[in-house]
Amino acid sequence: MDKTIASLLPYVQKPGRYTNQELNAEHKDWKNTLIKVALAFPDIYDVGMGHLGYKILYSLINARKDSLAERVYLPWIDLLDLMEENQIPLTSLESGAKLTEFDLLGFTLQYELSYSNILKTLDLAGIPRYSTDRRETDPLVMAGGPCAFNAEPLADFFDFVVLGEGEEVLGEILDVVSSIKRQGGSREELLSKIAALDGIYVPRLYEPIYDENGDFSGLKSTGTNAPAQINKRVIKDLNKSHFPEEFIVPFVEVVHDRTMVEVMRGCTRGCRFCQAGMIYRPIRERKPEILEEQVSKLVKSTGYEEISLSSLSSGDYSHIKPLLENLISEYQGCGITVSLPSLRVDSFSMELAKEIQKARKTGLTFAPEAGTQRLRDVINKNVTESDLKEVVQGAFKAGWYSIKLYFMIGLPTETQDDLDGIIKLAHEVIAWGREFGTGRRLPQVSISVASFVPKPHTPFQWMGQESLDSLREKQKYLRDKLRHPGIRFSYPRVEESFLEAVFSRGDRRLGKVLEKAVDLGCRFDSWSDCLRFDLWEKAFEECGIDPHYYANRTRNFSESLPWSHLSAGLERDFLLDEWKKAIEASVTEDCRWDKCSNCGVCPNLGVKNEIVGDNRHG
Amino acid sequence: MGKVIRFQFTKGSEVRFLSHLDLLRTMERALRRAKLPMAYSEGFSPRPVMAFGFALPVGVLSEAEYGDFEFSEIFDPQEFMTIYNKHLPKGLKVVEAERLPEGASSLMKKINTAKYEVLLPNKEAKELESRWQFLRGQDTFFVQRETKRGVRELDILPFLYDVSLQGSRHDGVIIECVCALGNEGNLRIEELGALLNFNPKEVIITRTGQLIKMNNHYGLPMGNRGLKWKES
Ligand code: SF4
Repeated sequence: MDKTIASLLPYVQKPGRYTNQELNAEHKDWKNTLIKVALAFPDIYDVGMGHLGYKILYSLINARKDSLAERVYLPWIDLLDLMEENQIPLTSLESGAKLTEFDLLGFTLQYELSYSNILKTLDLAGIPRYSTDRRETDPLVMAGGPCAFNAEPLADFFDFVVLGEGEEVLGEILDVVSSIKRQGGSREELLSKIAALDGIYVPRLYEPIYDENGDFSGLKSTGTNAPAQINKRVIKDLNKSHFPEEFIVPFVEVVHDRTMVEVMRGCTRGCRFCQAGMIYRPIRERKPEILEEQVSKLVKSTGYEEISLSSLSSGDYSHIKPLLENLISEYQGCGITVSLPSLRVDSFSMELAKEIQKARKTGLTFAPEAGTQRLRDVINKNVTESDLKEVVQGAFKAGWYSIKLYFMIGLPTETQDDLDGIIKLAHEVIAWGREFGTGRRLPQVSISVASFVPKPHTPFQWMGQESLDSLREKQKYLRDKLRHPGIRFSYPRVEESFLEAVFSRGDRRLGKVLEKAVDLGCRFDSWSDCLRFDLWEKAFEECGIDPHYYANRTRNFSESLPWSHLSAGLERDFLLDEWKKAIEASVTEDCRWDKCSNCGVCPNLGVKNEIVGDNRHG
Repeated sequence: MGKVIRFQFTKGSEVRFLSHLDLLRTMERALRRAKLPMAYSEGFSPRPVMAFGFALPVGVLSEAEYGDFEFSEIFDPQEFMTIYNKHLPKGLKVVEAERLPEGASSLMKKINTAKYEVLLPNKEAKELESRWQFLRGQDTFFVQRETKRGVRELDILPFLYDVSLQGSRHDGVIIECVCALGNEGNLRIEELGALLNFNPKEVIITRTGQLIKMNNHYGLPMGNRGLKWKES
């Protein structure tokens, strides 16, 4: 075993991913720092490095005198295989320390298809998969992120789970670790102290109950510090919460490689399919002057050529226009551009687009999500036919020639009309482009169609996903009707959406399927080329578990849901009402501008929408 | 004198795995952090005006990389060096800088020769000497070269100008190779390995010079310290 990672690097693709001397990487004194935290992203460097939440936690931990945080990514398959072959353990980037040497090992749960990579990371690190098998010297393995709101399929693998926003609770966790490390105390004692904090879920303290039909019927607690319901943590005032002044500047190309500031957190538009819109409530905006200061520090410390104003719906930020204008006039001269991650379909967004993309008339992206007004009302996507027409025509007039539209198939109540609506719209866009286009280039429309995945904590959480065959047929229908030189049609594999549906609403019984799948060779499932659906099918079969039970079955409203003890503050009645309104195609207003729709979050968590201005736009 | 500063920089082990594009991005971001008065390109997304010598193969270290930066005003090369070095990440360092005369020709146009130092572990000096003697007795040495337009047979022997022993250590030998670089003729690092029987992935290679070969002498892209042409 004389091979090292360094000696393998000349043999792998993009070896720059595995080096650790990037600008602003924190190399703290390993020996003299009390608490060591490994932050693991269950995907490759190129993906993990673009994640804002991860940057915030990294900087927050390293800002403490008593703690250090180091990064861990899963190596890409070429190096992964070589490491397994040569029995080289996975190490952190900064110190090259084994993961067993850390006190805490944190995973971020961003998407279900990264779950196999979590077990892969543990395997490669030499840490037992099951929390109950871990030794006194092993780190406590924790997890957070959106998928933590149904952590059940992963329950056996984590020592504890953090629900909601991490900035405050992470500090509390580190305080506990610090006091136990100073006074001395066992791993078990440490865990029980952490379990006593708000927003912490220790899966091992609960046991699932299944009824005679094998349906989940609830959890019973088996220890102290096991509340019947765990409420998410939420930052009341974003203006006071920690934000990094430096980002690590990677050498190799990664996603979202730019200065990012978070203009607000939460979104109250209330799209009924959208989990993020439900679990990140309420809206909390950051003051523009704070944002400008954050941008200025980051520009100085990184030298990035792009500034992105990020959030779930940045066009809704009440000071978006003046903020954009200020940033553009300040930074344009030194070759720095400003961007928004997404645009709403309305004339205000077009004004913003003109502002930011004076230069690059490359493409505009919108998400109508459904092909007809009726279905858009069902999902509460507040986009009208006339908005779309006006915006797309306006874009062509202003010189854009390429439009990208996002849709979903398999939404509740979908009919043939809704599919035809997508087709009609695609052809209309081309026709508008011909009529109004001003550039020399032919109009292009990209249609991207995802298969709908019902998510927990949304009004659609009870609904069964449409069958694989039926989704495939719909994809084929669209593909045939969208054959046109000006139209580009793309869609993810239905198998991906299916697995996502299984795990997003799964229970603890799926843990062993995941384990089996990893043993059979599954990893990097979110990379289409890597997904081995045949192995997954085999894993389900060998475990005697029917994936369709989880993905395609419509739940009874009276049924216990495996995630009901993990609360984002939402009232079940609100979700149920929203479901009923969906079926009637009746819309719900945005509580940011209109009346409160009684989702429960504000009273349950003692928070409220924090808006910095009152200028409504759009 | 013009507004262009030409500089020599080194690429150390911390950054040896950067591709040429990674390097350009890194240098550009360091420029922005340094807030130097650069000239920007015209157009919608202005970029600083910069040019570099020939791409260094990924994994190779260098003591002699070159770049040209155009400033918006006459700028002192020493000052540039001091400021810029403060903003470069570990592993990149400017070691020399000078103002270019107006209308000086570009780096890519001039440079045609590379000098590499290779540390060959587990090799003995005699082995290398006899290999070099053998090569010098050959008329040709054909390899398959993959290019964007496909694979072709190519005689690479004329691209290797000189090999000399720099030193012996208990664990191997250090050699210096002078070879063709650039558009007129180029010896790739794998091809150098094929000629001298080593695997480039298993050895440490440092580019120690990028030179301008003219008839029978070598010149440097900067300054006036021409090297003597060594008969081989
Ligand atoms: S409680 Fe009312 S105001 Fe608060 S997020 Fe929910 S709907 Fe909006």
